[in-house]
Amino acid sequence: MRKEITFTLNNEEVTVEVEPKWTLLYLLREVLGLTGTKEGCGYGECGACTVIIEGKAVNSCIYPVLEAEGKNITTIEGLSKNGELHVLQKAFIEKGAVQCGFCTPGMIMSAKALLDEKPNPTEDDIKEAIEGNLCRCTGYVMIIDAIKSVAAGR
Amino acid sequence: MILPKFDYKKARTIEEALELYNKHDGNAFYLAGGTDLVPLIKLRLLQPKVIIDLKGIDGLKDIKKINNSLVVGPNITLFELKQNPFIKDYFPCLFESLEATSCKTLQMRGTIGGNILQNTRCLQYNKSLEWRTARGFCLKMGGKVCNVVPNSKSCFSNYCGDNAPSLMTIDAKAKLVSAKGERTVRLEKLFSEDGRSPFTIKPGEILKEIIIPLKKTKGAYEKLTVRGSIDYPLVGVAVTVKKDAAVVAVTGIGPSPHLYEIKEINEKSINEVADWAYEDARPVLNAVLTPLYRKKMVPVLIKRAFKRIGAGGGR
Repeated sequence: MRKEITFTLNNEEVTVEVEPKWTLLYLLREVLGLTGTKEGCGYGECGACTVIIEGKAVNSCIYPVLEAEGKNITTIEGLSKNGELHVLQKAFIEKGAVQCGFCTPGMIMSAKALLDEKPNPTEDDIKEAIEGNLCRCTGYVMIIDAIKSVAAGR
Repeated sequence: MILPKFDYKKARTIEEALELYNKHDGNAFYLAGGTDLVPLIKLRLLQPKVIIDLKGIDGLKDIKKINNSLVVGPNITLFELKQNPFIKDYFPCLFESLEATSCKTLQMRGTIGGNILQNTRCLQYNKSLEWRTARGFCLKMGGKVCNVVPNSKSCFSNYCGDNAPSLMTIDAKAKLVSAKGERTVRLEKLFSEDGRSPFTIKPGEILKEIIIPLKKTKGAYEKLTVRGSIDYPLVGVAVTVKKDAAVVAVTGIGPSPHLYEIKEINEKSINEVADWAYEDARPVLNAVLTPLYRKKMVPVLIKRAFKRIGAGGGR
């Protein structure tokens, strides 16, 4: 019952056998070992599992894996280059936008999707982009500051 | 949470999707955005043998102006629909309900067809299999009693769609297709008023088009939620004004939206409809706010919507 799919994951072509019942999140975490993407609620409500598919932020926990065929997918692991953190990751550290860190990969992926689409977002754009990402620690202010600082620094 | 075993098929045409459905003796579900379907399968509330992905079907993702109507393909995402210039200009009520639906991430994934045909919700129903087994199955799960209102033979689960009520206020129709042919019905006729099986759509039928008469309207959508972002409506009120008349739809209480008409808008007629909707609203303890509060908010939201429309609309 397994089927083979091919897609681009963090700029590398991946071919893998999957079961139709898997979600993309299951494939990333349990099969490919990319545990940077987190499982929170598992129902598309908390955004901890956010990845970027074809330029859009998507909840991978409710994304049937067979839909990934031919897609271009970026996870949090795909952001750093040659061991150097992505500018958004640096900003989250510098602005203290991380406490427990569980929501952080999802927050960063939602922010990246926004900045790729709109390099100079307003504060409302930022709030809209991360409204599907729940954080139970920071109170969001530092997260918004971090995203703003990246936008301003461009 | 891991999904139960099922097969996944991607249909390229409507005919192929209908054929696949029939081939699996109806033990199949159509998949669009999956934001409603996948969580229901995760909770074992649905256990399909196969899911048939409709996203590969050409023509279900178009928005076209045909004569004096806007014809919307059901696979248009909520985010795409919101950005269509006709929606903001002609149907502010629908624009606001699209804005109010969940969050940007889910708006970019969820489709208008799936949003209209989302299952009804209840605090006793949208739970894990273990939770429901311990509590005992309710009417909606095939049990003999309602777990919210003991001794009741009716299901009180709530229809929590934001956009069907808005579409109802702008006279939208749904075109459905099956192996037997096509039929077009007013959107309100899609609702059965029975929470156990909330839609009149027949097994295997596919929503092909949503047809909206292209007339400029004024309107507003008001929504009661606990959180500002991703909540379902605990009460939702859609109001569309056409010249001197208005249509009001109330959602979030009971298995289908309630529809009201005002022939001539004035303070008295607005108050009468608000009172009427208050009397009609029969919320029970199956959402995160108390039934009495939700009931009291129905007339408040109706009047608030009219007030905003009177002040020029928008927020």
